Amino acid sequence: MDLFRLTLSTLIARKMWIVVFLSALLLPMVLPYFVPYETNVKLLEPARAQTAWTVTWLLGIMWTLSQAARFGDSNSRTGIGAYFRSQGCGPLKQIFGMWSAIMLFLLPVVAVAVLICLLFAMPSDAKEASMWVATNLQFAVLFLLTIGPLALLGVGLASRFGSLVGYVVPTALCLYGLYGVGYVGMTIKLRDNPLLEWVYALSPQYHLADLTPRLIFKMGNLPSADFLSYVAYFAAVTLVIGSFATLLFRTDPLRH
Amino acid sequence: MSKTPDVSSAAVNLSEGLGIGYGSLLAEVTEDIPLENGTHYLLARNGRGKTTLLKTLAGLLKKVGGQYETIGRCQFVGDDLSFDRELTPKRIFSALVPSARRTDALDMADSLELDVRKHFGKLSFGNRKKVGLIVAEFRLRDDEPNIIFYDEPFTGLDTPGREAVRSRWIDTEEDVLRIVSCHPDFDALEMPKALLITDGKIFRGGDGARTWADFKDLLN
Repeated sequence: MDLFRLTLSTLIARKMWIVVFLSALLLPMVLPYFVPYETNVKLLEPARAQTAWTVTWLLGIMWTLSQAARFGDSNSRTGIGAYFRSQGCGPLKQIFGMWSAIMLFLLPVVAVAVLICLLFAMPSDAKEASMWVATNLQFAVLFLLTIGPLALLGVGLASRFGSLVGYVVPTALCLYGLYGVGYVGMTIKLRDNPLLEWVYALSPQYHLADLTPRLIFKMGNLPSADFLSYVAYFAAVTLVIGSFATLLFRTDPLRH
Repeated sequence: MSKTPDVSSAAVNLSEGLGIGYGSLLAEVTEDIPLENGTHYLLARNGRGKTTLLKTLAGLLKKVGGQYETIGRCQFVGDDLSFDRELTPKRIFSALVPSARRTDALDMADSLELDVRKHFGKLSFGNRKKVGLIVAEFRLRDDEPNIIFYDEPFTGLDTPGREAVRSRWIDTEEDVLRIVSCHPDFDALEMPKALLITDGKIFRGGDGARTWADFKDLLN
């Protein structure tokens, strides 16, 4: 709890959260006007939704993951990890203490994205509106199930290998899961390659968590069964990544 | 029937044969050493195992062999303990010191001439040390015995700062067991209770009104 409070205090003191919240709040409202929206004003609302979630992804990757790496690194490097461990606060408590403080700052960012979509991009048709609400809530859950474990991995990796590795690896994994894995999938479709098929099967399918196309093209929410299977899939990924993260986590640096 | 724990009686018991080191033996305890509440200085030259012994007793390192026992809640304040450069000492105390003790912590900061509104990154080396020291001193628990392991807390502290810290330790020595590692920079410093490490041996330096200068000749 003390490390959670210290991490919260540090995040507040760094003041970057102000820029983050202003970006989450203002960019989706402002950026859609930078395109020739006059040609079709109806596109403004989906554009707002698209921008809101794109900004949320960017903030999750650029801010949340970088903070995770920074805290993991500094906890082991500055003697704070050793100080808390000497008091009986073990590695698990420490990693989750820092992680929960970091995630607490991400929650309002996600809430802002959902609220912007619900308040400033809501379809007028009642049936569409209900699906719109459901899609955004599903998106929020899947987004958190993607960034949350990656942040945990960032803390764990950085505590052992430093902040650069702690940031680059989860970020690369996230971008690969969002975009790169699609190319692997296409390659498999074009030609048989057992090795690539294994790579594809073992890759994190983070593109499934990105429901932006559903919002833009008003495809409606995911059917409940699909959504639950996505949640189960991401829960399993969380378990794997979380296990790695906690195994990697160190309360003091490798060098003595 | 439940017994009320004696919250004041912290203890650290080092048994003969306790070996410390990073995998291989660096130093070994040559006699049974029972330590009780009070301030015990740990004296040795560089690289002889002061930090290793403190970390071992604090449960941060595995012992190489032998036995030891700690009774009480431990705090290991490493010489590298530091906080985020954007944090002020006041914020650090708010996060880590229980609210009932925060005023006392700020009073001690005042007596140590520590500017609690200055960012940690802008504090001098000595003032950074004071922050960790105050945090440890005011996180003592009322409901259980307390043990604090200080690794070279005086490095970077000026004489008035050192005296203020020692005065606090003298005032509270009935309540806390402190083991304090020191460098050979303070010849006049009184060290009534001392542990010495030299030639791979850990032993008690004798009780009484001794100073660091008295122990210097014993160390290799």
